[in-house]
Amino acid sequence: MHISEGILSAPVLITGAALTATAVGYSLKKMEHKEVPKIAILSSVFFVASLIHVPVGPSSVHLILNGIIGVLLGWSAFPAILVALALQGVLFQFGGITTLGVNTFNMALPAIICFYLFNRGIKGENNFIALILAFVCGFLAVLLSGVMVAAALVFTGEPFMQVAKLVLIAHLPVMILEGVLTVFCIGFLRKVRPEILDI
Amino acid sequence: MKKKLYLILIFIFLIIIMINISAFAHKVNIFAYVEGGKIYTESYFSDGKKCVESKIEVFDNQGNKLLEGLTDKEGMFSFKIPPEDVIDGDLKLVLTASMGHRAEYIIRADELGDIKGLIEEKIEEPVSVISPETSSVELKEIQSIIEDTLDEKLKPIMREMREIKKSQEDRISPTEIIGGVGYIIGIFGIIAYFLSRKR
Repeated sequence: MHISEGILSAPVLITGAALTATAVGYSLKKMEHKEVPKIAILSSVFFVASLIHVPVGPSSVHLILNGIIGVLLGWSAFPAILVALALQGVLFQFGGITTLGVNTFNMALPAIICFYLFNRGIKGENNFIALILAFVCGFLAVLLSGVMVAAALVFTGEPFMQVAKLVLIAHLPVMILEGVLTVFCIGFLRKVRPEILDI
Repeated sequence: MKKKLYLILIFIFLIIIMINISAFAHKVNIFAYVEGGKIYTESYFSDGKKCVESKIEVFDNQGNKLLEGLTDKEGMFSFKIPPEDVIDGDLKLVLTASMGHRAEYIIRADELGDIKGLIEEKIEEPVSVISPETSSVELKEIQSIIEDTLDEKLKPIMREMREIKKSQEDRISPTEIIGGVGYIIGIFGIIAYFLSRKR
């Protein structure tokens, strides 16, 4: 999911950086003081989640958890993911500094889309529906990220079908895994600490 | 009560860290060495999976592409050192694996120099250093015998060194992970400070 340095063309990099900067600025303005510890914790969760690997076919993929981060944080997912990705880039050479904007956007935008789609359902009254939506949320967030990675590569000039197929096939197991994980997280939070979901 | 939840969360990802203590980065690595006039490369994802059928390109230090090829099932790819007149310095190997992963490896000129030097010596030495009576054939023979024995003796050591170099490149130490989490909390501490001043 982390696109390395030297792959993407300059227009794609610049667009990604600009979009990310705008979104981070907006969300910092919106950020509430009492939310900050929650954002910090989820940012660290994202940071660590990328170290968990799922070997698939010729490639290997890792957990992203952007679905649950989106539902829990909303717009604050942007700074959370940006900070985590920056540190992954510096410490582990995942992705890179020039691709930071694109990578952040690829993972944070699906998080926010999921927030708007599933926020009400997951935080709603009906427990069963909430859990099903949680699965879809985790699944869809990864799917969208994959599509965005593919789009970034295609805009740089790689053949579309090849990239799209690879990204989709490679991420299918992660999508399912993330869906299940999201169900567990939401189920746990609903039972034990509903106030974190603002129920 | 809220504190308790954060403690639980911190505890959970400490466990994750422990599980992944020999954790891998999500990136590709390429590793190359020179042996007997050929350059051998190994490519693998940092969790140890080989990069199958990934493109490897070779550049000289001017950025001109000399050749390219695909890795085999074991992630290996080897090629003859391009003729000396093309090389005037380091060789850069660039690996492009699936889904936007890319890695570089630089073979320094002095590593390649072994062969280059040998060829030059062969031409010059018989004329200048040794008395004219010594036939160049003998010299060549001696030289090649020495070369062969040295190669043979040094092989295990070289292999060992390659392994060490490799493992150093791949390792993510728990210190880095915990340090990264620390940074994240620090960064959000700073954000919290500014947010609180605004109010």
